[in-house]
Amino acid sequence: MSDVAQSEFNIRKYIREDLFPHFMCPGCGHGIALRALLNAVHNLGIDKNRLAIVSGIGCSGRVGAYIDANTFHTTHGRPLAFATGLKLARPDLEVIVITGDGDCLAIGGNHLIHACRRNLNITCLMLNNEVYGMTGGQVSPTTSTDRFTTTTQSGNYEPVFDACKLAEGAGAAFVGREMTLQTPALRDLIMEAIAHEGFSFVEVLSDCTEVFGRKNDMGDSMEMVLAQKSGFRSNSYGTAVDEPFKPRGMKTGVLHRSERLEYAAAYQQHHAEKSST
Amino acid sequence: MTERETLKADVPAESLVHQRPTNVLVVGVGGQGVIMISKVLASLSKELGHQVKQSEVHGMAKRGGAVFSHVRFGPAVFSPTIPEGEADILVALEWAEGLRWLPHLKQDSGTFIADTQQIVPPFACRNRSRGADLGYPRETVPDVMEKIANSFALDAVGIATEMGVAKAANTVLLGTLSAALDFPVEAWKSVISEFVPPKTIEANIRAFDAGRDWALSFDRQTHLKDWTGRTVRSPAEVVDSAAGITSTLEITEEWCKGCDICIKFCPERCLAMDARQIAILVDPDRCTGCRICEWLCPDLAITVHTQTNTDSA
Repeated sequence: MSDVAQSEFNIRKYIREDLFPHFMCPGCGHGIALRALLNAVHNLGIDKNRLAIVSGIGCSGRVGAYIDANTFHTTHGRPLAFATGLKLARPDLEVIVITGDGDCLAIGGNHLIHACRRNLNITCLMLNNEVYGMTGGQVSPTTSTDRFTTTTQSGNYEPVFDACKLAEGAGAAFVGREMTLQTPALRDLIMEAIAHEGFSFVEVLSDCTEVFGRKNDMGDSMEMVLAQKSGFRSNSYGTAVDEPFKPRGMKTGVLHRSERLEYAAAYQQHHAEKSST
Repeated sequence: MTERETLKADVPAESLVHQRPTNVLVVGVGGQGVIMISKVLASLSKELGHQVKQSEVHGMAKRGGAVFSHVRFGPAVFSPTIPEGEADILVALEWAEGLRWLPHLKQDSGTFIADTQQIVPPFACRNRSRGADLGYPRETVPDVMEKIANSFALDAVGIATEMGVAKAANTVLLGTLSAALDFPVEAWKSVISEFVPPKTIEANIRAFDAGRDWALSFDRQTHLKDWTGRTVRSPAEVVDSAAGITSTLEITEEWCKGCDICIKFCPERCLAMDARQIAILVDPDRCTGCRICEWLCPDLAITVHTQTNTDSA
């Protein structure tokens, strides 16, 4: 697996070069997340023919289209539903879902909790940029308090979803969070998530510079990722740093890991029990 | 009653002046166990009836900074710090720290005990190019041992790692130190047992014995002759080992959208934006091939190629 010294990672082997340059705005963190994902796939030695990428609608949905593998661009909020069907029909495939915060938590929230509950062996990568970027910057379930969007002209007043807690509560086997600035850490987290048996949920903190950052005067992509870095703490630090300085600092890294029975295995076990009686 | 008056009560005043204390200076880098060594030594000499003064500086210890601790014991100790050139024993847990404190060692009669472990401090790496000169001292173990008569340089970390307890390197040095001081072995061991975590007592006692055995069987001539331990590589060697590696930066101009994240994050400041708002490499010589730009380019436009030229070897 990861300890095998393979050929050097060449991203051009994994992308559809004819579609480049991609459609994302200058400084968009989704491109960094794409590199981390492809590097993780490379390090795990997953064959492109055995890799299925399922994505929904939105900026994040377009990320999947640039990967030279079996890609599946589905309807808004439903990539997890499609992926569930795909994995059940073709258990040999490595199914990775790329979804966004609006796609996954708002319109697809129902599918997320049930995918977590069933614990099917797929990996869900949620690119969280705090906004509906593609449709013009509407408020999303993860938009921070007091941020301006086209639908919250006086600042956002809605409470924010903690997607990782939601996934953990719904029963996901592996939950992690990482920001795009820490790209090697993000790659390693994705590798762990893919390797973990059961439903793996990874929240990637991305940045939307053009639609969200510009409106909120958050500076360019460098300032946005550095602001992210100062607001988050690695889970491995424990509370040592948080207690005095960052009482509300959110955590990155592996947040939850359990060995709950995977859906296909549970199904087979159930079937064997029923047929034997 | 002042301290001085108490002392006067049991010891004649004139002998106080003549019986100077034994000075042990322990130096190293944060996290190695400098404070632990000095605490063991201080409480041991206190138990054996000496007057002890110990003072330490561990300012930026947690960030790998320098740590030193003065231990003075004897019939009467006044100042808590050791004057320059007055240390009887200098125990160094890190090679460069040991060299830095050498002026404190008593000339001719001072004993120098050093771990040959090398921890290169961040400020020794001013130039991050491959093969660049390090600001780390060049003196090798034989160089130093030639100058100082009573010098003991051992690979304590290596000895401890071989025993499976790499963290006990400082206890190995305590063992070596015990050979230089006239305290009973059992007293050393009982004090060490009080200071280390209960689960590691056995391992630490083994480490102590290993260090003491090393010192007792130490033969200067063979040690110098057979010295094969890690020494700092000379600048020429460093350049040689890195000469075979070159890194080049490839920027796909058609893909670059000019977000300038690579320019702002480049630690060597060797990227810039041209008139077309496209990132270009302006100073290829300064590029170290660290790949930060490659990792962070959202447009996947930057690729760092690393080549190993086998023909140069």
